[in-house]
Amino acid sequence: MELQPLRGALQRTRAFLGLAAIAFMAAPSFAANGPGGAGDFGPPRGEPIHAVLTSPPLVPPPIHRNYPAHVIVELEVVEKTMQISEGVNYTFWTFGGTVPGSFIRVRQGDTVEFHLKNDPANKMAHNIDLHGVTGPGGGAASSFTAPGHESKFTFKALNEGIYVYHCATAPVGMHIANGMYGLILVEPPQGMPKVDHEYYVMQGDFYTGGKYREKGDQPFDMEKAIDERPTYVLFNGAEGALTGDKALKAKVGETVRLFVGNGGPNLVSSFHVIGAIFDEVRFEGGTNVQKNVQTTLIPAGGAAIAKFRTRVPGSYVMVDHSIFRAFNKGALAILKVEGQPDKAIYSGKELDSVYLGDRSRPNLEAVTRATESARQGTLSLQDQVKAGEALFTGTCSVCHQANGAGIPGVFPPLAKSDFLASDLQRTIGIPLRGLTGKVTVNGTPYDSVMPPMSQLNDDEVANILTFVLNSWGNPGGQVSADDVKKSRAQGTPPAAPAAH
Amino acid sequence: MTSLTRRDALGLFACAALAGAARAAVPVPGDSVYQLHLRLVDQDGHPFDWGSTRGAPVLASMFYTSCEMVCPLIFESIRRTVDAFDKPVRDKVRVVMVSFDPQRDTVPVLKETAARHHCDARWSLVRGTEADARRIAALLGIQYRRLASGEFNHSSVISLLDAEGRIVRRTTLVGDVDPALVAAAKSV
Amino acid sequence: MRRVRTGALAIALAGAGVIAPAADYAHLPGGEFTSVLPQGATPGTTAVARVAPFELRATPVTRTEFRAFLALHPEWRRGRAPAVFADAAYLVDGPAADDGPDVADGRPVTEVSWFAAQAFCDSEGGRLPTWLEWEFAAAADETRADARGDPAWRQRILSWYAQPATAAPRDVGGPPDVHGVRDLHGLVWEWVDDFNALFVAGDSRNQGDPDTLRFCGAGAISMADRDNYAVLMRVALLSSLSAPDTLRTLGFRCVRPATGEPR
Repeated sequence: MELQPLRGALQRTRAFLGLAAIAFMAAPSFAANGPGGAGDFGPPRGEPIHAVLTSPPLVPPPIHRNYPAHVIVELEVVEKTMQISEGVNYTFWTFGGTVPGSFIRVRQGDTVEFHLKNDPANKMAHNIDLHGVTGPGGGAASSFTAPGHESKFTFKALNEGIYVYHCATAPVGMHIANGMYGLILVEPPQGMPKVDHEYYVMQGDFYTGGKYREKGDQPFDMEKAIDERPTYVLFNGAEGALTGDKALKAKVGETVRLFVGNGGPNLVSSFHVIGAIFDEVRFEGGTNVQKNVQTTLIPAGGAAIAKFRTRVPGSYVMVDHSIFRAFNKGALAILKVEGQPDKAIYSGKELDSVYLGDRSRPNLEAVTRATESARQGTLSLQDQVKAGEALFTGTCSVCHQANGAGIPGVFPPLAKSDFLASDLQRTIGIPLRGLTGKVTVNGTPYDSVMPPMSQLNDDEVANILTFVLNSWGNPGGQVSADDVKKSRAQGTPPAAPAAH
Repeated sequence: MTSLTRRDALGLFACAALAGAARAAVPVPGDSVYQLHLRLVDQDGHPFDWGSTRGAPVLASMFYTSCEMVCPLIFESIRRTVDAFDKPVRDKVRVVMVSFDPQRDTVPVLKETAARHHCDARWSLVRGTEADARRIAALLGIQYRRLASGEFNHSSVISLLDAEGRIVRRTTLVGDVDPALVAAAKSV
Repeated sequence: MRRVRTGALAIALAGAGVIAPAADYAHLPGGEFTSVLPQGATPGTTAVARVAPFELRATPVTRTEFRAFLALHPEWRRGRAPAVFADAAYLVDGPAADDGPDVADGRPVTEVSWFAAQAFCDSEGGRLPTWLEWEFAAAADETRADARGDPAWRQRILSWYAQPATAAPRDVGGPPDVHGVRDLHGLVWEWVDDFNALFVAGDSRNQGDPDTLRFCGAGAISMADRDNYAVLMRVALLSSLSAPDTLRTLGFRCVRPATGEPR
């Protein structure tokens, strides 16, 4: 049984379009435009054309035609389970078997005969709303299709631009959340300027019962969707859809045009390419162009066209600059640009010198390494000595000198010190509590004040002492952070009086 | 409006009956709505078999008498469509209007409705059981439901059937004549 | 008249021992019920509806049962049922009347049209459930008659929607709900008698914007409870169908009145 639901409405639309066509012809500015002129909105000419649809991230070739045609678009709905992330399966509902759905490209003024097919193996009924259609529901009213059936409706592409299409069957949010969206490009009659690469990228938010990257089969979570708490925010329907060997490619000095859509269902995208500036953005996919744009907003259910020229090689990361989405929900894609570097534009790292900062310490790498080892329980004597040496410089060496010799009559030596060697516990206490009063070291008396080194923590004290004990003829040994901690806890008064 | 006199009608029905006798030997095609066998009653209280119009083109739809909004328009559309048909079609065509609401659309009510809309002898306003109405709606692709108020929420579809009961054209255009329907009737 | 003939035949065959054993029907008490589809007197308003008590088949009709029906009603076999009653995919995966009688197949019969389902229910003295009866029955879970407010109830049903239809349905006989009915969720879509009363507009976003010329009386249905995705999906699917359509995932079960004559 064939349904002709909107015949009356279509007839009225056709009558209106006829009048509109006459109006256009009367407008002088329009008559002067392009080779088609007013004829671009006239009846279709020539043989019907079967539109070439492509799967993302590819885009059908530009249209080289200067007359309006009858274009036949056939799009199939397929419900299928695919990986949304490594080891995570999700049942997507797709246009053309992909998320986003196939890219459709027509010319402004074309009469598009749209066939929507619902695979008989599907469970759900579906329809389609194309934002480029002027008519009830954008076509949704005329394309409600049960599994195993096909619907057809016809529309005239009145406006040029880049438009989202999506399924509009109740519950609409769920159909969109399951991946039922894509882009349709209506080229202006004169076509678009030539570029080297055109790519199709579409962001979407996804809501699963389990957590981010929780493995296994994940169902759609309606509560999360209503609360707008996505589990994944992705470009082209999967983590890694556009990274690694699936990254987009270009060469240095080429122009790249990105058709970027946002299917939603909920989130707005702050679209940014790290390391690149968009030379031109047709923001919101409309006719006006903004130049020199770093980040452009793409509304849910909207799209934009960004164009830029590549200048230096490297991996350019595309993100949603609501940045936790990029690094914690998967909104990451890569454009890999290859070719000759240009140091005049970007030199790469020129200098890696030491920046001493206010602790005046030279290379602290040894300290970092020792800290890591300590955390993992693999701290060795060598680690401690090296770390202690780095810490000694600038803290202890100021008074006791870099070679541990001290300053005669002022600061006692640490080198081959009988004082340090005779009582290890006392030695440990000195950096913690300081030392005041008379001491004799290696036969020489000293009467000075050493303040407590309270800026040092247990690890640092342990490492410094271990270094000192193993340097300049001292007897060796190892002090652990635990030893220091115990000493700190005892809180014994400065040991000086008893020692002297 | 062209209306049939009783004499014209009787003559036509006689021809139809003869043709019908010949046709009865040939089985109804698989895509004909006359595959459904229902015994209904028309506005004169006479039995009306669904399928008794076989042999003539038919405009079929559904309605209910208490309908304020669209049903009067459906009657009007069909009347104007019949007028727009070529004479050979106009002479043969029958109109069958099935009620969604057999509870309230009793035979006297149907008779009164037919009179109110100036229905000539071509028109049969019929009722069956509620299950019958649901089946006919399923066949003709009409959607309807009863509301708590007793009103009906329903789609408006006029179907053109050929002499064998196959749906050749459907229109949802109401209040106006659908040229596509008139054109389709030429080849019926 | 048709029913009497079938009845007579049924009695005769019962005597011959050919008829399949009587199906298991559960009793549902009926009562007041708020449907997802507005039932108010004024179009678009919600009102509590009253569901009369009824008996519902405990499981969807199985392939074995449908095969027995085909044996007695050859006019409903694949290739014999006219196109106006069943589309080209009707029973394309069986069952066929000539499968061996001892081959038990407990899977729900699918790829049946509304007309075929009506004919089957007719043959056992019943009919298809109305949407309201089906929705009433489907609101139950293992312990409650109305579990629709429970997010867990919705999520369980949504999980079935998440699985694609490629896998063949399992046998009927899932766990019973509080009424003793099984498999209302998670197995197959099911026909209802008034499937063509569920007309959400093809574009179901026009909530509250009735195209009253197209849908006389009230415009297309606006959902009363748009959060209840589990039920919305059923309505959406059923409203996309025509009576002769068949789906791999669509089966049916029958009701009988609890007392008195059929409606």
